[in-house]
Amino acid sequence: MRALVTLFLVTVTVLVQATVVNRLPFEWGPGPDLVLAAVVAVALTTGPAAAAACGFAAGLAMDVLPPAEHPMGRYTLVLCVAAYLISLLHSNAGLGGGSGARVSRWAAVGVTAVASVGVGLGYALVGMIMGDAHITVSAVASNVGIGTLLTTLFGPLALLPILWARTLLAEDEYATIQGPTSVGGW
Amino acid sequence: MLRDSSRSRVLFAVLVAAALVLMVLDSRPGNDAVTSLARAGGEIAFVPASAGVGVFAEPAGRFYDGLRKSHESAARIAELETANAELRAELDSTRIDEHRSEQLDELLHLSGLGGYEIVPAQSVTRTTAHGYAHTATLDAGTESGIRKDMTVLNGSGLVGRIVEAGPRTSTVKLATDVNSSVGARLEGTRKIGSITGGSVLGGPEADMTLELFDMEAPIEKGDRVVTLGSHEGAPFVPGVPIGTVDDVQVAPGALSRIARITPAVDFAALDMVGVVVKGPAEDPRDSVLPPKPDPKGDQ
Repeated sequence: MRALVTLFLVTVTVLVQATVVNRLPFEWGPGPDLVLAAVVAVALTTGPAAAAACGFAAGLAMDVLPPAEHPMGRYTLVLCVAAYLISLLHSNAGLGGGSGARVSRWAAVGVTAVASVGVGLGYALVGMIMGDAHITVSAVASNVGIGTLLTTLFGPLALLPILWARTLLAEDEYATIQGPTSVGGW
Repeated sequence: MLRDSSRSRVLFAVLVAAALVLMVLDSRPGNDAVTSLARAGGEIAFVPASAGVGVFAEPAGRFYDGLRKSHESAARIAELETANAELRAELDSTRIDEHRSEQLDELLHLSGLGGYEIVPAQSVTRTTAHGYAHTATLDAGTESGIRKDMTVLNGSGLVGRIVEAGPRTSTVKLATDVNSSVGARLEGTRKIGSITGGSVLGGPEADMTLELFDMEAPIEKGDRVVTLGSHEGAPFVPGVPIGTVDDVQVAPGALSRIARITPAVDFAALDMVGVVVKGPAEDPRDSVLPPKPDPKGDQ
């Protein structure tokens, strides 16, 4: 149930971003990134693996939807890494309210703002590595700045409903109970 | 400090690898099956959603436009923008270094002959990262009126077409790119064919190869080729010189005649180019070609 509602809400957010937000005539460049806000909401309420999968899916959807001005996979990569890191920091270092605790709204908005800067720079970095001619210091600075501002202002439109739905549905189940993550691995 | 289960890490690594593979696939020239399919799938979701939004967006957009500017001021703004663009183009062309003015002169001469309306631009890159594609980047983009699928030429002839147009840069797929295919017409006889970058299967090693559809058409070394022109001038306007026939290959059993073409443009020294933002009102036919050199003079 929780997964289905999340899937539905993230899908709606992706479509709204692609068809409504990207349609608006922003003369200054970037618009708010609602998809990032949605991914942050999911990443703060789930484990790293599910967060990475969610980021991957949402980023891939944005890459696949028109306009196709950048290589497919670019946003997928950035969003996947961002979601994984947010979730990892949330469960290990108490980012956005601490492990197991309820995620506070203001903390979530703050995480969105920080994530927006990180994703903006990461996206620019991938473009720079891939030789995108649009990546210049001034363009990155203005786009990341404006994008972060708008995402922080309008991101809660996607962030808060998803956060609310996930917290509400989690109370019936045992999704917020997080066992200790195993130390093993790499 | 950052603990995570190994399963979760493996999944993360797999996802990152998948994203990287996608980027590599999509960055390569040509249409990749996976990414094309994905984009087609994306459009299936996008088009109805966008159409739905469009129903509401049109009145909203009109309202927004109406708020922003009245009808008269819109016309005035358009007029001033045109004047401004013209003045800026003039200013830009006067700023260009002296050693480029000759190229620009040639370019303007050629565009004047054909009646093409061009935006001058400088080719700022020529080599791609992996060297798979023959592309050049221009220092002008949509802010100068350049759109995708516009013809790019210089003072000597056809350079290529715009495949991607950003605000201030645009990417040209050169006519020598293996994926480039240009409709071509022989000077004089008006026989049509297509020019592919590089060599075609069974053809000679070449920068460009002409495939003539008419097996009976007379063609010999020294014949010149111009663009056939596409529907509504995109991606190619008619009458731009492409090159000269260098070598005709007669292959028994072939469905088309193959000829090696020497490009009219020196692609190694690409500098000033023009993007045709508006095609000629009527096909210039062969008038853009320079006067044919006197064969007696060569001997």
